[in-house]
Amino acid sequence: MALLEVKHIYKSFGGVKAIQDFSIEANAGEIHGIIGPNGAGKTTIFNTISGVYPAEQGQVFLDGKDITKLEQYKITRLGMGRTFQNIRLFSGLTVEENVMCAFDPQSRYSVVGGLLPTPNRRKEEKRGRELCAKYLEAVGMQDYIQERPENLSYGMQRRVEIARALMCEPKILLLDEPAAGLNPTEVAELTELIGRISQQFGFGILLIEHRLELVMSISHMIHVQNFGQTIAVGTPEQVQHDPQVIEAYLGKEE
Amino acid sequence: MSALVSNVLTQVFITLIAVAGVYVLTGLTGMFSLGQAAFMAIGAYASGLLVKNAHLPIPVAMVLAVLMAVAVGYLIGYPVVRLRRDYISLVTLGFGEAIAALLNRMTSLTGGASGLTGIPRTVGLGITAVSAVVAVALVASFKCSKYGRQCIALRGDPLAAQAMGINVTRVKMIAFLLSVALTAYSGCLYAFYMSYVDPSGFGWKKSADWVIMVFFGGVNSLTGSTIGAFVLSGLPQVLRGLQNYRYVIYAVLVLIILNFKPSGLLGEWELTPRNIKRLFARKKKPADKGEV
Repeated sequence: MALLEVKHIYKSFGGVKAIQDFSIEANAGEIHGIIGPNGAGKTTIFNTISGVYPAEQGQVFLDGKDITKLEQYKITRLGMGRTFQNIRLFSGLTVEENVMCAFDPQSRYSVVGGLLPTPNRRKEEKRGRELCAKYLEAVGMQDYIQERPENLSYGMQRRVEIARALMCEPKILLLDEPAAGLNPTEVAELTELIGRISQQFGFGILLIEHRLELVMSISHMIHVQNFGQTIAVGTPEQVQHDPQVIEAYLGKEE
Repeated sequence: MSALVSNVLTQVFITLIAVAGVYVLTGLTGMFSLGQAAFMAIGAYASGLLVKNAHLPIPVAMVLAVLMAVAVGYLIGYPVVRLRRDYISLVTLGFGEAIAALLNRMTSLTGGASGLTGIPRTVGLGITAVSAVVAVALVASFKCSKYGRQCIALRGDPLAAQAMGINVTRVKMIAFLLSVALTAYSGCLYAFYMSYVDPSGFGWKKSADWVIMVFFGGVNSLTGSTIGAFVLSGLPQVLRGLQNYRYVIYAVLVLIILNFKPSGLLGEWELTPRNIKRLFARKKKPADKGEV
């Protein structure tokens, strides 16, 4: 069984069928691109897989476990990390604290430790800060630990958000349009970063992206969505020559 | 120290403990409770009755009263932490007024509107001052812990917090119960300081007062909330000579602060060794602190 198995999921909002019969299998070390025009239901796929709302039909398995109806925070703890299309870092917290928030649910000290600086709390906080440093270094943000995210550039905020997702110790990482709003240099850096962390940490990545140069260069497989339906699946070369994909992106030749 | 000063300070410290609780709830977690004073009432009445009627030692009665308030807090908290911000205020408002009404009605037990009298007066300035310092220290420690971080995270973005594995309802419940425990304890001190309690002082106005104190000092700063509690609970006592004008002064002061500095007197500034060092390192207008 694959690390992540999504089997025939459906989701609709009122009359809008946002996802119809979507399936995907992803393994450790693989990068799967999900592309498609706006409104194709790409983010809904992420929200359904990660448990923001459950699928109406179909099943989702993570590492052999059925997570279809599980609450979002439980799915995260089983090994699913994600970033958001519009960056959602926590205001009022520093970069380090933001990343620590993803460690805190795993941190092993009780409410007593929440009120008093017990040895156990110190040990766990230290462990957390060390992991924090490790993941912030992996994304190249180690020099901004004490900064507030709102003072950082968009590209840097993206990196912090990725570090925060890494802190969830994911088996599967969902990246929702990580290149949105970045300039060409930043996109190149991000492409390199995604490839590198995928190698370094060995998780599977699902990547929603509009920048085709990014998706095509690093994805092993590509799923093309249009109006909630999967219109093509294949390697980057295959989908680039698929007539249906060309039609969805460029329109039909008369 | 004159009796008047001692009296004012004791009452300020008792209020400060409750405000530290409101800071956890409103400042850290973003929940507005308009029924918080009811937990003070539960603490005051329960501890008073346990000593008066059951003849328990005062510390034991206080512990039991706080636990009782926490148990009630769990029942009311169960729906509350699942609600949206504005509904939280409504539910807690209803709960608070219901408790006040109950205390008024259960005359045989509580003395009704004429209050519960004959509670031994055993609490003084010393114990309230120590309690207040401990309460603020505990809350400061809580803020720096994983719970504090999670509270701040879910206050700003509950969805992203969930996506990071944070159990939002559980963390909110912990914050709520900590706040209930502090408020109930301040009620215990109140009962054994005043030796008399009546239901009229525990309505929504008191809860709203505490929220105002937190906002006045800085909703994101425990230091600010502490200062807010000191200034706003001490001021009406100090200005007693001015009679009704004191409320005008109080209102004007609150309006000025919230109009010109909506994030409160100190904003997010906290009194920590690092911040103090930074303050002196900058050397620019050190007297201004976070006020600008």
